[in-house]
Amino acid sequence: MGRTDVLIVGGGLVGCATAFHLARAGLSVLVAEAGDVNAVASGQNAGSLHFQMERRFLEQGDAVMAQAARVIRLNRRAIDEWRGLEALLGTPLGVAMNGGLMVAETPEQVDLLDRKARLEEAAGMATRLIDGGQARDRAPYLGPQVAAALWAPDEGHADPKKVTPAFAAAAVHEGARIVSHSPVRGLRKVAGGFEAQCGALHVRADRVVIAAGAWIATIGAMLNLHLPVFPLGLTMNVTERCAPFIPHLVQHVGRRLSMKQAGAGNVLIGGGWPSRLAQRADGTGFDLSRPPAPIAGSIAGNLAAATDIVPRVAGLNLVRTWTGTVAVSSDQLPVVGEVPRMRGVYVAGGGSAFTLGPTFARLLADTIVEGRDAGDLADFSPARYEHLNSFMG
Amino acid sequence: MRITDQVARGAALTIFVDGEPIGGFAGETVAAVMTAAGRRRFRIDAHGCARGLYCNMGTCCECMVRLDDGRGIAVRACLLPAEEGLRIATGQPLS
Repeated sequence: MGRTDVLIVGGGLVGCATAFHLARAGLSVLVAEAGDVNAVASGQNAGSLHFQMERRFLEQGDAVMAQAARVIRLNRRAIDEWRGLEALLGTPLGVAMNGGLMVAETPEQVDLLDRKARLEEAAGMATRLIDGGQARDRAPYLGPQVAAALWAPDEGHADPKKVTPAFAAAAVHEGARIVSHSPVRGLRKVAGGFEAQCGALHVRADRVVIAAGAWIATIGAMLNLHLPVFPLGLTMNVTERCAPFIPHLVQHVGRRLSMKQAGAGNVLIGGGWPSRLAQRADGTGFDLSRPPAPIAGSIAGNLAAATDIVPRVAGLNLVRTWTGTVAVSSDQLPVVGEVPRMRGVYVAGGGSAFTLGPTFARLLADTIVEGRDAGDLADFSPARYEHLNSFMG
Repeated sequence: MRITDQVARGAALTIFVDGEPIGGFAGETVAAVMTAAGRRRFRIDAHGCARGLYCNMGTCCECMVRLDDGRGIAVRACLLPAEEGLRIATGQPLS
């Protein structure tokens, strides 16, 4: 039986980045990936670096909006993290941080932007409300329907096909071991640690980091813990390449839309349009081993929003639509930290894990290595689910 | 090269590829007309290299050409029916 200081379940962005930081700090680390590294949300998302408060937090009323303002502290750390990431990993990651605009079309949406800007200002995030004319001065590709925009100077995008593999390579370079096609089975607590079967490997670990995205709840269940993180199926669209004309990240405050132009020239269009998660044949729930099915209305709705806001994309060919599976916690906030009910078990995920993934990883690794108070992670601790886990564990 | 034995074809037509007239038949795609004429270069990639017909069913986008009609809209040659007088351009850089 092998032993390791830390077993990380999940070879996505959070798992590989956490492995990098832990290995660099001198811990022995095994990353067990059920399929391929970067195969699910970490590589399927569109690579937005969004630092202003996301639209999804604005849909559920003022209480959720105020609560979500706490994420801004993490977002501020993430700005510095992304600014230094290519240097840290020593490889190009397609990081572009030329600023982002969250646009509004109606007076109600402008009002929402205004309220959001005040929350963000109070939380120390520099966003600026500009009118439609000012937005078009800054971003001439925006259409006449844009009535106002919230400008965030650090927003942008990075290449999801490069970021996680770079972290994985760096982790291995630092001495971490990453095993693919090694699903974790029979994870259990034993005296002084944990044991699990990871593919062909039987492993004993002092600590376990659950960074399994849409499978966080499944892995938690192996330890008799409730980790309320839910899978969601999303939709992405990409156009043919064209000469650079959108240097920013574009989002919409009232419609599901995110747009950016990748380094190769393709315009990536997403923003939270659903796809349909596959079902198990026996009707017992979602089958996360198969990709979600596209929904025609999502594709049409996404593209309608895109062409309304950036009319020029109507003249471009759609070359591909894809679906992806992401994971969001029951209260939408990230879940990062140690599970109080079972010391030695850590979780990291629960939403925005591309933008925030490298930051989750750094903060979580600091917590594990230094054993100190979680600081900026305190608001996102799985401790908030102890009302469930007091009967578990 | 075209099969000629026991084949019923549409009317003969001419399309213009990079200004050069190429003969084809109604019912053929632009990709079919170009391929029959031995023209294998459709688009150029980010490194300036020629790319050719690959999936021939609208998925891979390797056969992207541009309508040579002043608008320059990119189209998949494998999905575009050939029409008399149609003008297309291959190997165009990004618009």
